[in-house]
Amino acid sequence: MSAVMTEQNIYATQFSEIAGRLPGRGLAWVDRLRKTAVERFLDLGLPTTRLEDWKFTNVAPIRRLTFRPVNQVNASIPQPLRSQLDLFPSPRLVFVDGLLDRKLSGLAFGTTPPFAEERANGTPPNLGGEFLGLHLAGLSDSLADPNQAAILESHLGRYAETSDRAFAAWNTGFFADGACVMISPGTILTHPVHLVFISTGAGEPRATYPRNLILAGERSQVAVAEVFLSASGGVYLTNAVTEIVAGAGATIDYYKMECESAGGFHVATVKATLDRDASLTSHSISFGAALARNDLRVALDGEGSQCTLNGLFVVDGQRLVDNHTEIDHRKPHATSRELYKGVLAGHAQGVFNGAIIVRKDAQKTDALQRSRNLLLSENAQINTKPQLEIRADDVRCAHGATIGQIDRESMFYLKSRGLDERAARQILIRGFAAEIIEGIRVSSIRQQSEIRLGEWFEGKLEAS
Amino acid sequence: MLRIRNLCASIDGKQILRGLNLDVNAGEVHAIMGPNGSGKSTFAQVLAGRDIYGVTADDLTFEGRNLLEMPAELRARNGLFLAFQYPVEIPGVSNLYFLRSAVNAVRAHRGLPELDAVDFLSVARTHAQKLGLDDAMLKRSVNQGFSGGEKKRNEILQMMMLEPRLAILDESDSGLDIDALKIVADGINAMRHPERAIILVTHYQRLLNYIAPDRVHVLIGGSIVRSGTKELALELEQRGYSWLEQPAGVEA
Repeated sequence: MSAVMTEQNIYATQFSEIAGRLPGRGLAWVDRLRKTAVERFLDLGLPTTRLEDWKFTNVAPIRRLTFRPVNQVNASIPQPLRSQLDLFPSPRLVFVDGLLDRKLSGLAFGTTPPFAEERANGTPPNLGGEFLGLHLAGLSDSLADPNQAAILESHLGRYAETSDRAFAAWNTGFFADGACVMISPGTILTHPVHLVFISTGAGEPRATYPRNLILAGERSQVAVAEVFLSASGGVYLTNAVTEIVAGAGATIDYYKMECESAGGFHVATVKATLDRDASLTSHSISFGAALARNDLRVALDGEGSQCTLNGLFVVDGQRLVDNHTEIDHRKPHATSRELYKGVLAGHAQGVFNGAIIVRKDAQKTDALQRSRNLLLSENAQINTKPQLEIRADDVRCAHGATIGQIDRESMFYLKSRGLDERAARQILIRGFAAEIIEGIRVSSIRQQSEIRLGEWFEGKLEAS
Repeated sequence: MLRIRNLCASIDGKQILRGLNLDVNAGEVHAIMGPNGSGKSTFAQVLAGRDIYGVTADDLTFEGRNLLEMPAELRARNGLFLAFQYPVEIPGVSNLYFLRSAVNAVRAHRGLPELDAVDFLSVARTHAQKLGLDDAMLKRSVNQGFSGGEKKRNEILQMMMLEPRLAILDESDSGLDIDALKIVADGINAMRHPERAIILVTHYQRLLNYIAPDRVHVLIGGSIVRSGTKELALELEQRGYSWLEQPAGVEA
């Protein structure tokens, strides 16, 4: 029997074992969604490097392992990580090995869970209630609530394509929990929503399948930050899918921080769909993993919609990070801005693939893409590729990519002021990263980025 | 303080400095003048420790220490400072952070505690004000978007903060209008001190109207062909350099 058959058999068997207890079981639309997706996943198998989209990233290490789904969480979160959680105030949801931890999650704005006392007093409401225009709940809980399930039916799985995407199909079949973030029309949320995903990585290789849905009503304004943390150096897979829907005139500030361990695998798909005059600003901060793949796909599906996609990836050792973005200009007068910056040291590998599609009707499209990369070692590698498909004629579309090393003249300038090699390099790398980090408007994410960068300089990431 | 004998420097197989000799004592101001391409900037960079040059010398000592064995950062920590002709832009790094890192690196080497942020800021502001640099300039990225004159003044600010024993100023006067020139000259004059030496590298005599040098040297073809008092600078202003550009038999 071929390896491919084996891998598919394993996950087909797993699915038949767990399907009966997955959330939404019994809801016809959920059962159908899962069944179709699993069939698709088994059909496609895991991607190979023969696929253009996976040319530089070989998922063979994922194929070689068998990842078990998580039924219940036994592992406790170590103390350093608990104090790290304090950086991310509520409203927040915390997921441990993919499942919602209610004690660590809460709605109260600007405080730090646990919220046991506040709950006892009845305010603020429990998760799942609406509070100041925000509805925040676990996906599993939401599917169990008929009113919420009715809303979910018209959104969940409607945006992220699964037909030719094995990982997204796998997630759609296997998801056990995730975040459900809904913002009422006209609501301007003053506090960012934090979604924190912690992998404990304990024991045999586990897989989690976080599934998130962010619905921003018309003219609403919200910041949502997804943070992926690891509690140990174990081997695990995070296969996440996030669907974002921005109603007309909505403004979404979206952040993703990927801080997985050196032994972790992280594959995530984010699909955002923007209605007329909606705006999405995304910051993707990634410190790599054994393999980290960030797919970010934005459909500019309304006139005058706009997106800004900023990314920073900082990798060393044997880490790999692959950023695939796609901006689909479907309607006229839409604007996109994109800047991804990479810092690569050791034997690290990086990929940036930026697709920009301009449809025939998307006249007056204004798209600008830049990729800037700093290679710190001879053994580090970056593949950067713009991918433009332009079918309209009255558009402005520009792109540029650079790969450089630390500038020797800048080094001399710093050294001539008394700074040694190490300090001078750090200053220049920080300066390079600053263009992205300074654009982060959510202070927790900006701080966490700076802390992580500091740890990276100290070489701590390789130990974790 | 600085003793140079038979200093030679080359880059890409091209000889730039050819047997340069110079002595500078504490408290003195020396002007190094010369036409374009005579090796002035190379001389300044070699003193500061630029590692792209192949450098040899019979003697190159700064306060009794052999500079040839010292990397750039150690020279700086020991009190040698170069004001760049073309200061480098460093995007994303605030001028203030850069200055503080530099000052603390030098202080650590001297066994002094780090300056705390508040003390540092007040010192930096005081000096910056004297140079006509406002707070916004301190917060902006190092030299980024600075005008030519602002870059030159920012170099002087760094010199004031670092309080070097030997300051080499490479064309700190070039590209300045008369007001900026006066500000820069005032800054340099304020640094004159019996314990400190200053080397002014310049193409024009103009700066010397504001800063009276103790010695003037003419650098041509990679070596010093004539030395004198400040009157030599005036003579150069009137006669140019061509009368000194005789290859053989000139006094060193």
